[in-house]
Amino acid sequence: MTQAEIKLCSLLLQEHFGEIVEKIGVHLIRTGSQPLRVIAHDTGTSLDQVKKALCVLIQHNLVTYQVHKRGVVEYEAQCSRVLRMLRYPRYIYTSKTLYSDTGELIVEELLLNGKMTMSAVVKKVADRLTETMEDGKTMDYAEVSNTFVRLADTHFVQRCPLVPATENSDPGPPPPAPTLVINEKDMYLVPKLSLIGKGKRRRSSEEDAAGEPKAKRLKHTTENKEPIPDDGIYWQANLDRFHQHFRDQTIVSAVANRMDQTSSEIVRTMLRMSEITTPSCAPFTQPLSSNEIFRSLPVGYNISKQVLDQYLTLLADDPLEFVGKSGDSGGGMYVINLHKALASLATATLESVVQERFGSRCARIFRLVLQKKHLEQKQVEDFAMIPAKEAKDMLYKMLSENFISLQEIPKTPDHAPSRTFYLYTVNILSAARMLLHRCYKSIANLIERRQFETKENKRLLEKSQRVEAIIASMQATGAEEEQLQEIEEMITAPERQQLETLKRNVNKLDASEIQVDETIFLLESYIESTMKR
Amino acid sequence: MAGNKGRGRAAYSFNIEAVGFARGEKLPDVVLKPPPLFPDTDYKAVPLKTGEGEDYMRALKQELRETMKRMPYFIETPEEKQGDIERYSKNYMKIYKEEWVPDWRRLPRELMPRKKCKKVGPKSKKATDAGKVTSLTNTADVLKKIEQIQEKKNQSNRHKCNNSRKAGSKSRDKISSQKNDFHSECEDGPNREQREQENDYINSYFEDGDDFGADSDDNMDEATY
Repeated sequence: MTQAEIKLCSLLLQEHFGEIVEKIGVHLIRTGSQPLRVIAHDTGTSLDQVKKALCVLIQHNLVTYQVHKRGVVEYEAQCSRVLRMLRYPRYIYTSKTLYSDTGELIVEELLLNGKMTMSAVVKKVADRLTETMEDGKTMDYAEVSNTFVRLADTHFVQRCPLVPATENSDPGPPPPAPTLVINEKDMYLVPKLSLIGKGKRRRSSEEDAAGEPKAKRLKHTTENKEPIPDDGIYWQANLDRFHQHFRDQTIVSAVANRMDQTSSEIVRTMLRMSEITTPSCAPFTQPLSSNEIFRSLPVGYNISKQVLDQYLTLLADDPLEFVGKSGDSGGGMYVINLHKALASLATATLESVVQERFGSRCARIFRLVLQKKHLEQKQVEDFAMIPAKEAKDMLYKMLSENFISLQEIPKTPDHAPSRTFYLYTVNILSAARMLLHRCYKSIANLIERRQFETKENKRLLEKSQRVEAIIASMQATGAEEEQLQEIEEMITAPERQQLETLKRNVNKLDASEIQVDETIFLLESYIESTMKR
Repeated sequence: MAGNKGRGRAAYSFNIEAVGFARGEKLPDVVLKPPPLFPDTDYKAVPLKTGEGEDYMRALKQELRETMKRMPYFIETPEEKQGDIERYSKNYMKIYKEEWVPDWRRLPRELMPRKKCKKVGPKSKKATDAGKVTSLTNTADVLKKIEQIQEKKNQSNRHKCNNSRKAGSKSRDKISSQKNDFHSECEDGPNREQREQENDYINSYFEDGDDFGADSDDNMDEATY
């Protein structure tokens, strides 16, 4: 773990779970796996707090545990999983686009709580949806659980590893920690539940429950524990599946930008066909014949078989090689070269970063070196058609920022500079790593800046919150317009202006965080797919 | 270097013209300080992407941040709670915090709050019971300790003591997952064993001694974070 990653993890943990969890989490990331007492001792935190923090981290799948010999339980933080917290809004938004509001809330609840049972999710989501609906309307449990089943069928949610049922006959003391097992077959199997009921409104619940106060009712339900049908079966959002979806979306839009809408639709169809059959880390999709593709094209997309074949040949001939031809049977077999696609996208990202950071002339040199693989300094100056002095300046600048690397090839074993070739080259993998590292740094900077901005205006924010609360309560009791205006004027004009500036700044910082994370996603996918080969 | 005197650039082992410096040109100064914290950029950053999706995601992010603070998983530091001024708004926020009872079946046993493991049945009755039991065993402990010391002095049945000591330390090792080197007293051995027969976890209860005060308050019985 690099320092930048640890810093970012620390900020994220602190923002989501508070300082204590942050302390424990960062300690675990820094030191690797550790037993409970050592954590408490090294962080100087009380044992109770360490326990609480670990419970929270395990609940959110950020820490795993393992029993070592002599019954010592060691805890290990999942740093890359912590960084995924940056992407939570994107996961939620994606499920909204795919499965509307119900899907959105299901995924949101799963991410907020780490893991939940299906019945708990369905109840919570139905309640939340009912609250947003008009009076008199309610959300049915069956409808929510339908969406849940669809999410499970498409693998967007999956079961957490289970605790195996233990036989009571087992003698001796129980193990210090349960061993969780993953049952591959049941990963996406939804338990048969008969969830009948409707979402309840928080406010109107008093009437529903025949005048019984809410607190009492809550106690009631927790005390007479009815057996939960899916007790112990926990679900979590399957982030890898989301990543696969993001990757496919990126590839489709890249094709659309490069060629046209129709070809992107063809690629989308191919990707959708191989969604479940291809594992998310495979470099290629399964080969698909053009006949199959033709049959699977979305209805209403009436292009003839001939046009489709022409498009496929065109796509296969494209120098970017997003689509490859793997055989001639069945009217031609086609695959999507996922690794190549990711590599092209990562390279394009690097190019555009160079362009925006150093200008178009540097970008020209960068592309030139990329294309020709290895170039001597003199060749760079000549091919780029840039005056020698400026070209050198640019080349050295990119070299010092690690976008371009230098390869020495000595003619004699003494490595004498006068008898050595100096070749400039772009190592895409290491440049991508460097850029990824920078992205982590910039997100950490963005978060720190945002926290600073909010801290600076803390008093003002609290004031405006209070005023808003008062106005809301007065509106509820039916106050007059004049009174409301009077309260609104408690915030002066300059204060209002300051608040607006703050809001604009925070919005900008938040939006940047999300968009830098998109670059992070692309670079990470590329690095991951390259490492797997 | 004596041989190179007066020869200008001869300090370099390679031809300086190859890296782009003409003969007689001044070399740039050596950089001795770190780069500035906020360096000037030659090119202005491109504007952010905007659109419905981006705006929605941003709103989601901000909402998520606020919601997270109200979840039971957000553990506030005790100092923060005291604060400088008691604020009304803080009380207001606290109402929303739900209780969270982790599923202990999925977690290592050592993470359970100690009180929790005492009881399986109804809470309130057992909670008070637990208080009594611990105080009783406390006095019993003391009595037994005195007895043992006497026995030791007499050195009459040393063999027996040794045996139980071994058994005690063994089971302790098995359960408390730590080399607790700060607990090496052997007199505790037999008592410990006795207690462990009633219940597996209790021994960790006494081990670090920092929580002795906690056994009197009854509101500790629920694992609510």
